[in-house]
Amino acid sequence: MSTPDDLDALAGEYVLGTLDLVERRAVDARRSREPLLDAAIRGWEDRLAPLNELLPEATLEADLFPSISAAIDRLGADQGIAHLNRRIRRWQWAAGLASAAAVVLAVGLGASMLLTRTAQTELVALLAKDATSPAFVVSVDLASRQLTVLPSAVEPPAGKAYELWLVNARYEAPRSLGLISPSAATRSDRLASYSDEVIASSTLAVSLEPDGGSPTGKPTGPVVFSGRFVHPKI
Amino acid sequence: MSEDHPLAKLLARAAGGDRASFRALYDATSAKLLGTILRICKDRDLARDLLQEVYVKIWQNARSFDATQSSPVTWMVAIARYRAIDEMRRRKPETSGSEQELDDAAAEFVDPLASRDRREEAARLSQCLDGLEAERRQAILLAYCYGASRESLAERFARPVATIKTWLRRSLTQLRGCLEG
Repeated sequence: MSTPDDLDALAGEYVLGTLDLVERRAVDARRSREPLLDAAIRGWEDRLAPLNELLPEATLEADLFPSISAAIDRLGADQGIAHLNRRIRRWQWAAGLASAAAVVLAVGLGASMLLTRTAQTELVALLAKDATSPAFVVSVDLASRQLTVLPSAVEPPAGKAYELWLVNARYEAPRSLGLISPSAATRSDRLASYSDEVIASSTLAVSLEPDGGSPTGKPTGPVVFSGRFVHPKI
Repeated sequence: MSEDHPLAKLLARAAGGDRASFRALYDATSAKLLGTILRICKDRDLARDLLQEVYVKIWQNARSFDATQSSPVTWMVAIARYRAIDEMRRRKPETSGSEQELDDAAAEFVDPLASRDRREEAARLSQCLDGLEAERRQAILLAYCYGASRESLAERFARPVATIKTWLRRSLTQLRGCLEG
């Protein structure tokens, strides 16, 4: 569990820009659910705002506004989605308060998983043991079904490998999404045959398997990172 | 910070769906946001794409802007900086600021806010930055203004990444203490 000082340091580094991508994504995901973190970020934005005067101005040769306006028009077609998003954000806010209380009660809480949305068609999940140490960022581009897994400072024991699983009540057993690298991005199309509904309603789990992956097609080692999607499909 | 700020009014109207007000907001702020993005990502084509995304995001999030909590420019610059920094982190360290660029940038920061706007907050921050050791102060400024990563700062100052992380956190704590002191 993070102390107020940890939270403020995290917010400060977020505003400064020195967190790595996995840490930034984790903060983005937490921010919409944690009013204290959001307030700490705004505090640092305000404190460092005089530095904005050091940032230069630059002009474009061509007027960009028409293409911005066109992009907004395309969004307009999804107004219903924007409305749904606002409802979901309110729901996340409430869930964030509830989970903060739960963390106070259950310090030894196991794995958690946060989910946020970075673009119209991208779902992002953070696989973590606890709220401050995400191990993997899993993103899915729903348009192309491309699955990307980014690791962060994790190392399996010698002779072991991490394998990613999709767990859904529709299936009797977890479905393997393949081995994932602890040191580099893993990209695959293993989600190509799953629907948006299945993807968004699934749990992702990472188990420790022998090098080369599970010999049985089902998880054989302990699940080291996992959690439920807390966010319905957009 | 006030709802009477002209840009805050434009943002409020944009939040209500007024495209003409949004155009005026774009005209008033796009040079600053482009400069901000370009300083971090260096590539004009990429900066243009990111600028477009940033304005779409500003349009989408205009409703959540709270004029009693922050200034419109602070809010918009933050969106632009975060988008550019995310992109640089995604592209991996070798594409963020080179050693030479960071050296040139470091040379610029003699007294960064000295000849600028002497508003009370700027003067105060400048004073507090002066209280940091020279290298730590440079690290803060290179990170904020140039999007320098911990790795590029480690290279620039020939220190381990863990040391840089400690520097940054201690510097932030010291700055906060100074600003609130």
